[in-house]
Amino acid sequence: MNLCKRACLYSVRKKGKTLTLLAFLLVMATLMLTCLSIQSATETANANIKKALLGYFTINAKTLENGIPEDTVSQILAMDGLSGRYTLRSYTYATYFDADGNLLEINTEGAAQVPEGYENAGRVVANSNSQEDSYFTDGGFEMVEGNPITTETGSQVLVHEKFAQRNGLSVGDTMLLGNVEDKDKTIPVTVAGIFTNTEEQDSIGMAPSYDLYDNIVFTDLSTASFLLYGTEGTTNVQYGDFYVNDPDELERIMTDVQELDGVDWESCTLTRYDNDYQNAKESLEGLQNIVFIAIAVVSVICFLVLALFLTLRLRGRVHETGVYLAMGISKGSVLLQYLLEVILVAAIALVISFGTSTAISHQIGSSLLSQVTSETYETVDLTGESEAAQEPTEDLDLAEIEVAVSAEDYALVWAFGMVLCVASTALAAYPIMKMKPKSILSQMS
Amino acid sequence: MNLGIRAILYSARKWKKTLLVFCLLLAITTLVLSGLAIADAQEEQAEEVRGTTGASFTVERDISTGGWNGNYSTQEFMSEDMIQQIAAVDGIAGYDATLITLPRIFNDKGEELAHENYSFYNYGSYNSQYHELFLSGRFELVEGTHITDDMTNSIIISRELAEWNGLKVGDTLTGVYYPENNTPEVDMEIVGIFDVVADKNDQVNMYDDASYYAYSSYVFCSMDAAEGLIKGWGEDGEGISEAYYYVTDAAQLENVIQEVQSISSINWNNYKITANDEVYQNISSALSDTGTLITTLIIVITAVSMVLIILILSMSIRSRKRETGILLAVGIAKPAVILQYVLETLLIAVVAFPLAYLSSKQVAGTLGTLFGKAAENVIVTPEHFMLVAIVGGILLVAAVLVSSISTMRLKPKQILAQME
Repeated sequence: MNLCKRACLYSVRKKGKTLTLLAFLLVMATLMLTCLSIQSATETANANIKKALLGYFTINAKTLENGIPEDTVSQILAMDGLSGRYTLRSYTYATYFDADGNLLEINTEGAAQVPEGYENAGRVVANSNSQEDSYFTDGGFEMVEGNPITTETGSQVLVHEKFAQRNGLSVGDTMLLGNVEDKDKTIPVTVAGIFTNTEEQDSIGMAPSYDLYDNIVFTDLSTASFLLYGTEGTTNVQYGDFYVNDPDELERIMTDVQELDGVDWESCTLTRYDNDYQNAKESLEGLQNIVFIAIAVVSVICFLVLALFLTLRLRGRVHETGVYLAMGISKGSVLLQYLLEVILVAAIALVISFGTSTAISHQIGSSLLSQVTSETYETVDLTGESEAAQEPTEDLDLAEIEVAVSAEDYALVWAFGMVLCVASTALAAYPIMKMKPKSILSQMS
Repeated sequence: MNLGIRAILYSARKWKKTLLVFCLLLAITTLVLSGLAIADAQEEQAEEVRGTTGASFTVERDISTGGWNGNYSTQEFMSEDMIQQIAAVDGIAGYDATLITLPRIFNDKGEELAHENYSFYNYGSYNSQYHELFLSGRFELVEGTHITDDMTNSIIISRELAEWNGLKVGDTLTGVYYPENNTPEVDMEIVGIFDVVADKNDQVNMYDDASYYAYSSYVFCSMDAAEGLIKGWGEDGEGISEAYYYVTDAAQLENVIQEVQSISSINWNNYKITANDEVYQNISSALSDTGTLITTLIIVITAVSMVLIILILSMSIRSRKRETGILLAVGIAKPAVILQYVLETLLIAVVAFPLAYLSSKQVAGTLGTLFGKAAENVIVTPEHFMLVAIVGGILLVAAVLVSSISTMRLKPKQILAQME
């Protein structure tokens, strides 16, 4: 009878024992696979946290003659590690005309001075999205009519309510923005919206006329580019804020950016803003360490338990071993038979474990998902006494957390599981194999 | 021979087997105990992460309910008492308020300090480390200490200002705000120097009051000193109009605000509260995902451990079928046989459980040295141990009972007739 047959027959004959072993190995393999899939899921969660902490860097190219050209912006955005979220900004001044070229009136009340040449001019703010501009986010500006500017082209402006009233402008009207120094360089723009300020300007009496809230105009980047650099058909910008996925990589990305051609980086100022991340960094690493600790503890103890269990199992077969040896079967083939039995069962267990752990991972994944959907947004509503300042959370474009058994993890568990089974069986069999058949059989069972 | 002695004798005779079962129990119990400790540590760590998000609320005077005299609001300012009262509420990590003055500053020789444009922009501050400019990372303290609320006449200045004027920590400066209005001169000691990190040339600013001053001209002085600077000016246009409170746990922000709002000595008609926890809101879902994942992991570990214990015990009992038959054949009652098995198992558990407690503490200690701060939170508490010991004990007894059912149903003859 060859050893393969013997191994099969044994496994079939001792159904109960085989089943116990199968259950044991299955549970172990499932545990390991689930652990590994949870670990990779927490890595995604951690990356999401890092991304949500919004690390970014700002390029200040104000001193450059031509700002940051469009090509460079797209080159930066194509770089590895950028989250795709960015804001481009330009600031300049413009003289305001109506559609027929007549000067428009600005507010001068409360101005510290009206600088020469700026009698009909004001500050022009261009932003990728006017709603994201600090005037709107921090300064209390609000749209009262029309739509914010969200495109880079389109020749649109947003004007202050009072400015619109003073000059009889309404949404849809056309006005001209003129270069302050070269009055012939004008560009026609459409009034896309009207805003107002909800907080008083605290620098009244200090600010020159063009900085007064009433005299500010928001426009798109290409219009600002025309006013600043005289460009047509292409958009150069003064400032760019670029958000990254992993704030740890900020330094690397900023160095890479400065190696791009076409811009005199020496004259630019690059500033990193990752304070939120730096504050949370240590605690976050702690959290990640805890996950790692959990996985490490589970793995080590799993292996330990598996080795012990296989040893326990083999010790119950001392008598049997003695009989085999007495029958003249070589030690090698007896050992091989034992190994074969374990490997056979382990293979089945590992195959099934893929199914079970996938099912469990799926369950965990869907419980995470339902948690997200049931998390309705609560604003702090304290009987109207406090302002509900919170807006629904921004869409940060975070990666969806996927709890799944990856092929690598599966292969890893296969490899480790098999090695461990073989090693612990061999190790457990060693003391028995050392004995003579006679001394084995004379032992009391 | 009573069953107690039999149980002990069996365990001692089959010491190798006993040792194996013991090791298994020890390993599994250590696993569960460490798991519980890790779950707790994760909770604490997540709380710490939430604490670093700088969740805060602002208490400010409500201009809309106050009067207006044409130039400025006549709404009442925040009193020091009120600010301290709110700061004393549980869950508040720190606070600050600002009282802005634009003083001229002189060194101890009476010479005005060299500075950039205009005058100095001076923030009177309780705890400057909680000032927006420092929290946002735009300024960074590089020498000395921050202003704290127990300081009386202290000031922190920018590195540029210190360099231009040869100033260092410990020097004394004199500030005066409106000499023509007979405000007093206030002596202040430099306690710290900060670096300007932010790019002031970025035109993103909104041309509010502060933006016309160079960052190097920004100074922070203790609130007492700032109040000293405006003393005697008499006008009611100056005072503290806003205070900022930072909470230890962003998840508790709402509760803290509610508690603040229940302080009855404050007339809340004149003040409003604004919550600010944008950073926390951004990360909260990802953070709670991590929490859920770890909790699930621990649950899986615990469940698997239970299954393992049952499997091991049933295997060890099943391999003793023959012995059971013999014991029954010599006339020992079935309950006594089962009780013996239970006793043997419990005997092992009594040693294994406390040892697991110690070993898991050891594991936690080792992790502490390996991973530093994070792992220090992994602490196995006596409560964990109690839980594991009780549930584990019940589980062991149940497992032994269940696995002996199949054998116990048979007659001794049938058992012994079975092939081993």
